[in-house]
Amino acid sequence: MRLDRKNFLATTGAAAAGAAFGFPAIVGAAPEPIRLGTIPCLTGSNALLGQQEHEGAALAVEEINARPDKVYGGRPFEIVEEDATNDNQSAVSALNKLLGENVVAIVCPVLSTEIQAMAPVMKTHEIPWMTGGTAVKNTQLGVPGMFRLRGSDGITGAGMTNFAVKDKKGKRIAILHASDAFGVGGADQIVQTLKKLGMEPVANEQYPKDAKDFTAEILKIKQATPDVVLMYIQNPSDTAIILKQVHSLALNVPIIGSPSLGNQTAMEVAGKDAYGTYCAVDFIVGFNSNVATHFLTAFYKKYHHLPDVGTGSGWVYDAVYMLADTYKKQKGTDPKQTIASLKTIKNWNGVLGTFTADAEGNMVHSVSIGQNQDGKLRLVKKVTG
Amino acid sequence: MHFDPVANLQLLVSGLAFGSIYALVALGFVLIYNAVGVVNFAQGEFVMFPSYIAVTFLLPATTVFGTIVHWQLPIVGVYLLVLVLMVGFGLLFNRIAYHPLRDRGWMPVVISTIGVSIFLRNAAQLIWGSQPIVMPSLFAVDTISIGPLHISPQDLLIIGVTAVLIAFQFFLFERTTLGKQMRATAQDRATARLVGVRVGRIVAITFVYSALLGTISGLLVAPLFTVTKEMGALIALKAFAASIVGGFGSIPGAIIGGLAIGVIETFGGFYISSAYVDAIAFIILISVLLVRPQGLFGERVAEKA
Repeated sequence: MRLDRKNFLATTGAAAAGAAFGFPAIVGAAPEPIRLGTIPCLTGSNALLGQQEHEGAALAVEEINARPDKVYGGRPFEIVEEDATNDNQSAVSALNKLLGENVVAIVCPVLSTEIQAMAPVMKTHEIPWMTGGTAVKNTQLGVPGMFRLRGSDGITGAGMTNFAVKDKKGKRIAILHASDAFGVGGADQIVQTLKKLGMEPVANEQYPKDAKDFTAEILKIKQATPDVVLMYIQNPSDTAIILKQVHSLALNVPIIGSPSLGNQTAMEVAGKDAYGTYCAVDFIVGFNSNVATHFLTAFYKKYHHLPDVGTGSGWVYDAVYMLADTYKKQKGTDPKQTIASLKTIKNWNGVLGTFTADAEGNMVHSVSIGQNQDGKLRLVKKVTG
Repeated sequence: MHFDPVANLQLLVSGLAFGSIYALVALGFVLIYNAVGVVNFAQGEFVMFPSYIAVTFLLPATTVFGTIVHWQLPIVGVYLLVLVLMVGFGLLFNRIAYHPLRDRGWMPVVISTIGVSIFLRNAAQLIWGSQPIVMPSLFAVDTISIGPLHISPQDLLIIGVTAVLIAFQFFLFERTTLGKQMRATAQDRATARLVGVRVGRIVAITFVYSALLGTISGLLVAPLFTVTKEMGALIALKAFAASIVGGFGSIPGAIIGGLAIGVIETFGGFYISSAYVDAIAFIILISVLLVRPQGLFGERVAEKA
């Protein structure tokens, strides 16, 4: 048919009338996408974590949308992404913007400090909040619909400390941690666990945000003559620089760290300086389920580099799939119904393992202790909370 | 806490090394301020951008625009190449960010430098991604151990190169015609022009020199820091504080201010608390400004007038 002005008007008029009378099939309207909000830190000093979150979400959405039925009923996912940058105020602004975008669920930034800053706004919106922020407090903020898809600092901190005392026979434990919500929360968990074991840390040093010279902190710890050092740090770059300086200043004791020590980027950047260190991590390659094996293969095929499974991309990938499975099961995206469904999640298999929701919204209840052996992370033991 | 001479020596070396970097970047701030009367808020990016260029040519594999490139050129050759490229960068910066706005007062130029800073940081993320990158060091060993003392050779290199550059700077300004022309331009551009100084050219040279100082700082500090798009901003913030402590516009002030902030930060972190290290630096800044508003080496307003 020739598309002149007359034909164009007739066609578009008929289409508009059809749409108005509720015949979307006549005009070939695609099923409405399910809008999923994400707020990674895409810029600022934690942009690496944000990029990993972005990649995890994008891969999951691409795979789900490639299925014949997509999420359900032919409805695909559509990601609406806002940049949380690297400060709490910007994260809150990004969240406010996202809440005006008609999203049915939000995947939060991984930084606990940003989650806690956003909490007052989150409390006023009853939608599913999927988080990878591990500070214990995150699920105790009174936010309805908060679900954590990683092991909390309670499990990680206690696991690291017990491993230091019981397995490494540490009697003089020192702590080095970041001064953000993640670092402070983790260090608190270590101190509490030590207290239960009848011990106190011989040094408890924190470093300020964006610090790059850790000489003072490391020398202070060295002066306290510890036999094990526990590190609670989120930023992979900080982790690598600290390990380099620990090595340079000859602090030769076992190092046991939070998940960032097992972060792929931190291990690559730190190189030999990270060899022999231990960490409590969400995931270790080689002990993965079929879901995890598929994720690793698909991720590498799409991005040509290995993912940071625990701290970065894996939990976001799981969050998107968990929501898709829930929407499919309940045949709808009503946020309240989704929250109710997520609260009943039991033995759901994802990249990071098996998820079961507890009353607080925690879905992961164990972490692994791994050791960096010549650049590869090897499982030492499983720790359950 | 007992007094430990070895720990104190290590703190001093580390503090002087970081202070040296602050001093070099502060010098860049001061030189441009003296030449054109504005603060260059892209000074930190003069540190970051050449570091990224250097790792691109140095490493066996680097990701550029999502594509892996393999250069792995010799380290000294890469240093020279980056310095040459940054001469062009300094000229371009002068031509784009300063020159078109030079007659419109200081505010548009300051905003222009902020714009360039944001542009360069985002460009770096776009080109090289968010992964921190390790720059190889000139040294085969990370640490020199003398008994209980463990010192990074990179720290010693930073202190040594800074000392040489400071000596070169005094020679340039005191003994050469170019340096005298730069000083004349800084003191009074109109009079300098009247006596035959080609002010536009001198300003361009100042931007180039400032870019080279930033480049050298970046090449020196990158093996300790890892290369990230934020690395320059972190240094520039401290360097800016250093140049204010020293007296904005004063070259000796920038050097002393930089070294002082580096050393005070390190010792403050050790003897008081690392948690308050930034607060310590800024309390010193405020205290100095309360006692000497013009900074340690700054001129009084009346003298400048």
